[in-house]
Amino acid sequence: MKYMLLMYGGENCWTDEERKDCMIGCLKICEELAAQGKFIATSPLQPITTAATVRVRDGRTLITDGPFAETTEHLGGYFVLDLADIDEAIEIASRLPPINKGTAEIRPLLSIDGLPPARPFPVGSVDPNGTPYMLICYDDETKWREADSSVLREAMVEAALLARRLSDAGKYLNASPLQSASTAACVRVRDGKRQVTAGPFAETHEVLGGFYLILAESHEAALRVAAQHPGARLGSVEVRPLFDFSELQYSVSIS
Amino acid sequence: MKRLRREMSNVPPSATDIHQLIEETYRSESRRVFASLVRFLRDFDLAEEAMHEAFAAAVERWPREGLPDNPRAWLVSAGRFKALDARRRLSHFNTLQPELAGRLAEIAESNTARVDRAIEDDRLGLVFACCHPAIDLSAQIPLTLREVCGLTTEEIAGAFLTLPATMAQRIVRGKAKVRDAGIPIAIPAADELSERLGSVLTVIYLVFNEGYSATSGEAITRADLSGEAIRLGRLVVELLPEPEAIGLLALMLLQESRRRARSTTDGDIILLEEQDRSAWDTRLIAEGRSLVDQSLKALKFGPYTLQAAIAAVHADAPTAAATDWGRIASLYDALIVLNPSPVVELNRAVAVAMRDGLAAGLNVIDLILGRGDLAEYHLAHAARADLLRRLGRKDEARVAYERALTLAQQEPERRFLMKRLSQL
Repeated sequence: MKYMLLMYGGENCWTDEERKDCMIGCLKICEELAAQGKFIATSPLQPITTAATVRVRDGRTLITDGPFAETTEHLGGYFVLDLADIDEAIEIASRLPPINKGTAEIRPLLSIDGLPPARPFPVGSVDPNGTPYMLICYDDETKWREADSSVLREAMVEAALLARRLSDAGKYLNASPLQSASTAACVRVRDGKRQVTAGPFAETHEVLGGFYLILAESHEAALRVAAQHPGARLGSVEVRPLFDFSELQYSVSIS
Repeated sequence: MKRLRREMSNVPPSATDIHQLIEETYRSESRRVFASLVRFLRDFDLAEEAMHEAFAAAVERWPREGLPDNPRAWLVSAGRFKALDARRRLSHFNTLQPELAGRLAEIAESNTARVDRAIEDDRLGLVFACCHPAIDLSAQIPLTLREVCGLTTEEIAGAFLTLPATMAQRIVRGKAKVRDAGIPIAIPAADELSERLGSVLTVIYLVFNEGYSATSGEAITRADLSGEAIRLGRLVVELLPEPEAIGLLALMLLQESRRRARSTTDGDIILLEEQDRSAWDTRLIAEGRSLVDQSLKALKFGPYTLQAAIAAVHADAPTAAATDWGRIASLYDALIVLNPSPVVELNRAVAVAMRDGLAAGLNVIDLILGRGDLAEYHLAHAARADLLRRLGRKDEARVAYERALTLAQQEPERRFLMKRLSQL
């Protein structure tokens, strides 16, 4: 099963040196997972000062500065892994260095047909099509459940078509919807003791429902893509540039 | 080819005998067959259906072919074939499931494995799945009762005084979570066992307490819940004899032994010191005590074992006055180290009062309350009131009883406190 591990934490609780060690620690675990065929993708995200959230209402695009949710702990990075079961996800999450100061939300991916094949984007890659961004889709699950199933289906087809267009333009890296937020679990490690709790990290009305990893030539271009996503009409899409950690590449060799 | 045993080949068993055997097998094995099917199929609903189909197949085939050597293995195997069939049919209609093809191949492959291979008891793996910390606690308990104990949704709803629809929703969500989040139906690895066993034991004890807490009216269904908890406790001990699992079973048995003596027929509380000790169940006490000894010897015991040891000291005392309060107080000392909590301190204070004198106990309670702990906990004020009453400090006792009364929620507890107040 494929899982996404979303790492939340306070941005100010790390020194630069700690942050670097933390990333190297994460990359080493990813290297180990890659050797076992369990690694799909990872990246830290740029600080939330670079975040923007896109909504489309009545045909108008509304862009707000900042992340989707104003919390003291923010999404700082992610891992996408192919694992046996949630216990393996919990075990890996509790070994990732950021877990000692933050929280890992574990979300199983919902596998659907019709998305283009994922394209690996090795650490520090340079691509003429742009730099990598993550689009994080938040939506109201109850609204979806109450809506006619054809609405969901149309939105999924629309999202798949967007992915296809991006893929044709060489700007698609990866995307997936997530299983409903009720399947989430959170892991924390404090004083060496692990805690596992049920449910997502933040109890919000709109919940994290899927992600896109794309290449865009500018921040504005990434926002334009977000505005084309059906999720922007029905919920919110947070746009986050990925953190370029190519200078750390010397220490590990994952792709 | 399946090896089938012909029972006394010259005298084939009558169809009635076989049907009776199938019924007995259903009673004794169905939850185990179900647990194995859940592990193989990773889907509760499919497993439930497959289990019933397997028994239907047994009703049809066993009278004709004879009783298989290993009925449980036969049933699990038959259930898996049925599920495979169901998935094949489904796949014609649902080509959108990309995982399906892989799963089908997987199932087909494992189905060709030897049929009469010994099938391990998967019920414990199922308990660990239902009590997985990734599942909301409010769903863990009903899911365990439904899937491991086989209680119906209506029975569970009745026991928890909830609407069946609400309970059904919790169970459905729990089942979906096991499937969609990839929660394994397995006993966790050794390094995680104690942590995960902790959540299993918590669920079992919560189920027990739900059945043991003194509420009137639903007394019958509630006692059944305690019985289910004890059954689960036995299952865990049988398959995983860890000291704390043994300790919890002992604790439940020792508490259960006092059930008949702890309230009047009207549902009024009878305190331990006033209980008719001849009404205590000596069989449960003997079993509980021997389990406590077994767990204490293991030296890896925890809070459940210590609580059970305390209950065993009470059970050993012929009268309240003859209780070994010194031993109880020192067991509480140990419990505070393992499980520091103001409630444990309060219980220790009562033991101190009995060992060192009422004033000493009162002093300890006042220290706890003085820290600001337990200020809203009715039993702290009730215990304080009781010591004041015994010390003859009636006015202070009255104030404390009244404070306890404003905080108490349960009707039998309120009646008890009012009675005490009126006796001052």
